[in-house]
Amino acid sequence: MKRTLQALLLGWLCFCSLNVPADPAVLRMATTTSTENSGLLKVILPKFEAGSGLEVQVLAVGTGQALRLGCNGDVDVVLVHAPAAEQKFVDDGCGVNRHPVMYNDFVIIGPPADPAGVAQSKDAAGALARIANSRSIFVSRGDDSGTNKKELALWQKAGIIPSGSWYREAGQGMGKVLQITAELDGYTLTDRGTWLAYRAKSPLKICFEKDPALYNPYAVIAVNPKRYADANYTGAMTFIGWITSREGQQMIADYRVDGQVLFTPLAIPNPGAP
Amino acid sequence: MNNDGQLCFSRLEKHYNTRHVLSIGRLALVPGRIVHLTGRNGAGKTTLLKILAGLEAPDCCDVLLDGCSRSWQAVRQRLRRDMVYLHQHPYMFDSTVADNLGYGLRVTGVPRARRRQVVAVMLERMGLEHAAQRNARTLSGGEQQRLALGRAWLLQPRVLLLDEPTANMDTGFRQQTWTLLQEMLNHELAIMVSSHELSESECPNCLNLHLQDGRLNAGPPSLHLVGQDRSRSQEVLGVKP
Amino acid sequence: MDSLLQPTQEAFHLLLTGDPDLWTIISISFRVSLKAILCATPFALLLAFLLAYVPFPGRRLLVSVFETLMALPAVVVGLLIYLLLSRSGPLGDLRLLFTQTAMVIGQIVLCFPLLVAMGYAAIRSADRRAWETALTLGAGRPRAMLTLIHEVRLGLLVAVIAGFGRIISEIGTSMMVGGNIAGHTRNIPTAIALETSKGHFAEGIALGIVLVTLAFGLNLILNLLQRREAQAV
Repeated sequence: MKRTLQALLLGWLCFCSLNVPADPAVLRMATTTSTENSGLLKVILPKFEAGSGLEVQVLAVGTGQALRLGCNGDVDVVLVHAPAAEQKFVDDGCGVNRHPVMYNDFVIIGPPADPAGVAQSKDAAGALARIANSRSIFVSRGDDSGTNKKELALWQKAGIIPSGSWYREAGQGMGKVLQITAELDGYTLTDRGTWLAYRAKSPLKICFEKDPALYNPYAVIAVNPKRYADANYTGAMTFIGWITSREGQQMIADYRVDGQVLFTPLAIPNPGAP
Repeated sequence: MNNDGQLCFSRLEKHYNTRHVLSIGRLALVPGRIVHLTGRNGAGKTTLLKILAGLEAPDCCDVLLDGCSRSWQAVRQRLRRDMVYLHQHPYMFDSTVADNLGYGLRVTGVPRARRRQVVAVMLERMGLEHAAQRNARTLSGGEQQRLALGRAWLLQPRVLLLDEPTANMDTGFRQQTWTLLQEMLNHELAIMVSSHELSESECPNCLNLHLQDGRLNAGPPSLHLVGQDRSRSQEVLGVKP
Repeated sequence: MDSLLQPTQEAFHLLLTGDPDLWTIISISFRVSLKAILCATPFALLLAFLLAYVPFPGRRLLVSVFETLMALPAVVVGLLIYLLLSRSGPLGDLRLLFTQTAMVIGQIVLCFPLLVAMGYAAIRSADRRAWETALTLGAGRPRAMLTLIHEVRLGLLVAVIAGFGRIISEIGTSMMVGGNIAGHTRNIPTAIALETSKGHFAEGIALGIVLVTLAFGLNLILNLLQRREAQAV
């Protein structure tokens, strides 16, 4: 009896023992939910992994959390779209070697009838002002994401502090917010990538686009190895090197959703040209 | 009777908070005799039995065991091994009758083959062979009593302590119990049976002890009432002061 | 009705054709939660037993603490463990964040109070005579403890099943300490959240079906066992 118990105890302890993974061939990347939702990474990462021998683990969270993870040293590289926050990230010493990668743009979507007359605006800030004045429902990401930061910047430009029952802060990812906006028959600001992915299922339509203010640039930043010596800095730099190379940039340019181009490469504007 | 085999408890004290429950000068357990312990409800009979069995700790107590006098704490394990206590309604483990019977043997490391043999013999002796593989909780009260006695008997204890085994039971049950107890009695086993009924004793050769106000008095209860309760009890018994 | 029917049909199709992504997610869920419950249970039961049978000062308080911790939201537990395991946190050097091990740790913390509180209740409900009978028949205290556990095994099993049910369907902890990484730390609840937020309702429903089936199965087992116990008494 005693021997059985001892054997069981030993077995149980072994079973519970923590296995500490320390894999140099793994690259941890924090990115935003909209980047993940666009489907781009699913297409380009396998090519990168095959060439580099690295395994990329993607954590798709809000921009704020992605940068936080970088500052805490829990990931090796971040890919986000929030220029002001990125600058602070580098200034604070959390990240190094920031490189622009690609851009797409934001669009304002709303009900097909466009009750606020958003389509007639001259610029994005004006469009938001029309929504506020007509007290049409506007759904905000409300989660400190890149999209959220852009939206708040536009409100500021319009000189309006949005509040009231018409302004709904969802605190959710872009896909969820699009669903909510559709249910409430309201307006929202979204990146074109996520919109293209959802377009078919949504009753809403693009009401305003193509204002330079809606420009949405993405950048990649490595986590500072001086802060976290065992961050996979080499892996991060390999990735940065690849995604800003001709091959990586061409893949970005070639990526289509529903036949539409989604992202425009920034590092090498014309990767296909000789 | 051999002095070395004597089991004797002395200076046994027990308090619950401020209440003095037991204060016993000397209690000897004699192999081959049945002690009939009487006392009202709440007199402390169960407490005394559990202390003797090593299940409950007294405030102080000396135990004379095999010629050596030690404290209760020191011999506690030994007491648990040598004494078996039976509840008024003995507890049946949630398994078969055979498993229940063999429990004590199993936990003291008796090998399986021998255990099976011995359990089979006891099943027959107690008239329980027909129910060997049934769950012990499906047995009748009488059958459970026999199982409990058999279970204890298999351990060949020094002392058997029964807590009110026949309270509120019919005559048939009582007779069965006392018959079994007489059967079990031998020159190595002492038995102590408690009950709260003052009058009857199915056991003409029993030693009678009466627990009152925490003290033990010898003899039939009605002749040895002492203390404040005397006049009251005489009233109850219809004896004029 | 269409919006419900079509994704549901797709869901069954995905499950039955053995879609590898789906089954990876399901296997991660079971692997993590089973490991967590198996690691937590013996220790929790031992503690429950000590709380029930060993008198010490502050015992009642400790029991209340565990009963209160049962109500702790999964996301709070997740946050606390994230802060502990983060590279900038006290246990960062273990490099456990965003691994299945971190999820197991999180789920152990989540189910432990429940196992202790419910285990305590089950052991307390045991007849006091069981303990005394075991001791008087010659069992040492550890053996008597095992006997007692055997006597209340049904109540303890209920506790274990309840604990498992809690952790297999929780999302707060898994998301925070696991990171929902595809193929590594994406389990059923985090996958459902992700897929539904992307509008892939079929995948969400498929995974939901797995959870509901599991819950149903566990409940069935529980009912059968409880009925058996009622008969045995």
